[in-house]
Amino acid sequence: MSVHAPTGRSVTYKRPGVLTRLARSEHVAGWAFVAPATILIAVFALIPIGWSLVLSLQANNLIAPAHYVGLANYRALAKDPQFRSAVVHTLLYTVVFVPISVFGALGLAVALNRRIRGIRFYRLAVFVPLVTSTVATGIIFLWLLDPTFGLVNYLLHAVGLPQQQFLQDPNQALWCIVAMTVWGWLGFDVIIYLAALQGIPAELLEAAEMDGASRLSAFRSIVVPLLGPATLFLVVWSTINALQLFDEIYVTTRGGPLGSTTVIVYYLYQQAFQFFNGGYGAAIAYVLFVAILIVTLVQLWIGRRRVYYSS
Amino acid sequence: MKPLTIILIAAALLVSGCGGSSNSSTSPGHGHVNIVVWEGYTETEAMAIKKLAAEFNASQPNITVSVQSYGNSDYALQKVLAAIAGGRPPDISYLYGSWAPNIATNPGVVSLNKLIAADPSFQWNDFWSVERQVATVNGKIVGVPALVDNLALVYNKKLFAQAGLSAPTPNWTWTDFENAAVKLTDPAHKQFGWAYVNDASEDTVWRFWAMLWQAGGAILTPDGKHAAFDSPAGVKALTLLQTLARRKSIYFDNGSGNYLGLFTSGHIGMLWTGPWDLSNITAAKMSYGVQILPADLNHQTISGPDNWVMFNNGSARTQAAWQFLKWLTSPAIDLKWAQMTGDLPIRASVSGLSGYRQFVKKYPGIGLWAKNLGNATQARPVLTVYPKISTAVGQAVQAVLLGKTAPQQALQQAAQQVNGMLAVPG
Repeated sequence: MSVHAPTGRSVTYKRPGVLTRLARSEHVAGWAFVAPATILIAVFALIPIGWSLVLSLQANNLIAPAHYVGLANYRALAKDPQFRSAVVHTLLYTVVFVPISVFGALGLAVALNRRIRGIRFYRLAVFVPLVTSTVATGIIFLWLLDPTFGLVNYLLHAVGLPQQQFLQDPNQALWCIVAMTVWGWLGFDVIIYLAALQGIPAELLEAAEMDGASRLSAFRSIVVPLLGPATLFLVVWSTINALQLFDEIYVTTRGGPLGSTTVIVYYLYQQAFQFFNGGYGAAIAYVLFVAILIVTLVQLWIGRRRVYYSS
Repeated sequence: MKPLTIILIAAALLVSGCGGSSNSSTSPGHGHVNIVVWEGYTETEAMAIKKLAAEFNASQPNITVSVQSYGNSDYALQKVLAAIAGGRPPDISYLYGSWAPNIATNPGVVSLNKLIAADPSFQWNDFWSVERQVATVNGKIVGVPALVDNLALVYNKKLFAQAGLSAPTPNWTWTDFENAAVKLTDPAHKQFGWAYVNDASEDTVWRFWAMLWQAGGAILTPDGKHAAFDSPAGVKALTLLQTLARRKSIYFDNGSGNYLGLFTSGHIGMLWTGPWDLSNITAAKMSYGVQILPADLNHQTISGPDNWVMFNNGSARTQAAWQFLKWLTSPAIDLKWAQMTGDLPIRASVSGLSGYRQFVKKYPGIGLWAKNLGNATQARPVLTVYPKISTAVGQAVQAVLLGKTAPQQALQQAAQQVNGMLAVPG
């Protein structure tokens, strides 16, 4: 192909071939960079997600050849009293865990967002539980909360308070799990808030101070709104995590005592891997998936109206 | 899962590549067969199985056994299932006996009835009755016994002496046991007479089954269609637990196995446990004794045997796998295994071999557990629905231990649930 320049001089311009164009295209580079992650996610997440939908329509013990049962698993689920109590436990846990961990993290992040001696140590102390493995956390709490030999009861005794049964009491176990998971997860929320706090322009706070705003009202009217996106993210993220609670239960109470900490995912595990009801377990997973999707969409919808994005 | 964990797993996957194919297969010609054995042994046992496999490989020219560890036995089932689904199961895998009824539904599992019937020298009846019961699902033999254990009474001699108690005898009754447990209880010193795993898991349930049998009860009716544990015997057994719990004589273990350290450090007087705790108890250098369980009507105990299960990879490999298992579980080799590991012999005739006395001497207390296998006459129901039955009964026992429900009422509720489970066909 040639282009005739108006000056009359003839310039020949050869268009590069398809492969060359592809190789130079930013699209290709972009896809090449995300390909490994995309393939991994497809193989280890998307395909299993599709497969478990199929599984949820089967009577499948994961051992013998399966057969299709239509929506029977879902119908049984609707009438299953144990599933209903697992849902109740999960919701109870979530409505307590999410506010405590998000607000607690806000307080801690504000406290850690200043230049004082040893601040790195304090930040590290808050962060360490996050990188501690769940199993280790579970075992530590089992010992701390042991009714007879645990440190917590020892301290209660030392200050003259009555001894507690903690994880062995059906009325206390779920709250102990809340305490344990808040301890384990707080570090993550604090990091997000710390980063967000450091993104707040100092001149805004200075201007507020000059205008005579108290520290409290500056915090309320400037800091909290500017942290909105971080708060929205943390609420959504913590809710998803709380609804999927499993590891901590598996390591400590195994759903007990008397089923008082049997949450949805633990019940799913029991059904699929202890009772060999793979199809039923998959149906539970799908119900949870849809529930989480709806909750997240509602949260994002509310967030879009209430959260202020500074940029 | 935490984000860091996810990143690490993803990185590990990237580095390792996904899914190597390490299963060896039959090499062409020469009639030489390679077979793969999966097991989850650790430490002493892991070394022992490697040693025995090497000995077998050297003993004959046609079969090469390679032993591969699948990690923790608790998670073996998922891995074996994945291998079956992928079309490359191991030829032999160590699997828990409680999985047998479900494993039996897989068409890839080799039924051993014909192999055993065609081979009188294998002496199937030499295996303990409870092992054979657990390996047989609706008449189909799905495994060769790999391990057998049972519960015996282990006691701290020092605490018994301090409490002015004489040592438990083979004629001990529930009353003797109860009195001793109460006398050994001392809240001021955080000392308990007994320990009970109170996590409502099978660990909670099987000790209760032993007591139920001792009182003359049964888990299910003889036809296997209804619950039978809600009987006077069941109530009696659960009442003993209730009494000891009320008297604060029981340390409730939350399933993490803390009871063992508390026993060796002198906080617990008696345990009902198996040979698996023996090495730790011996290592603590404490003065302990082992006795058979106390009796109400009899001294029955309970055993949880595990199996070697064979998977079909063609007749040549099946034959080779059978040869290896026959050799591995033969009396002489089994005694060797017992001497190396301290596990109980899986065959009754091993106690008649000349090396048996050395074995008993090497592991003080083991002889009693071996003898106690004679008291393990019953097996838990070999049913696919058993894990569900166990969960219902676990809740009942836990409710009584925590003082929430009376024995009779707890058992009736559980029986009602179990009857519902048994009514479902399949």
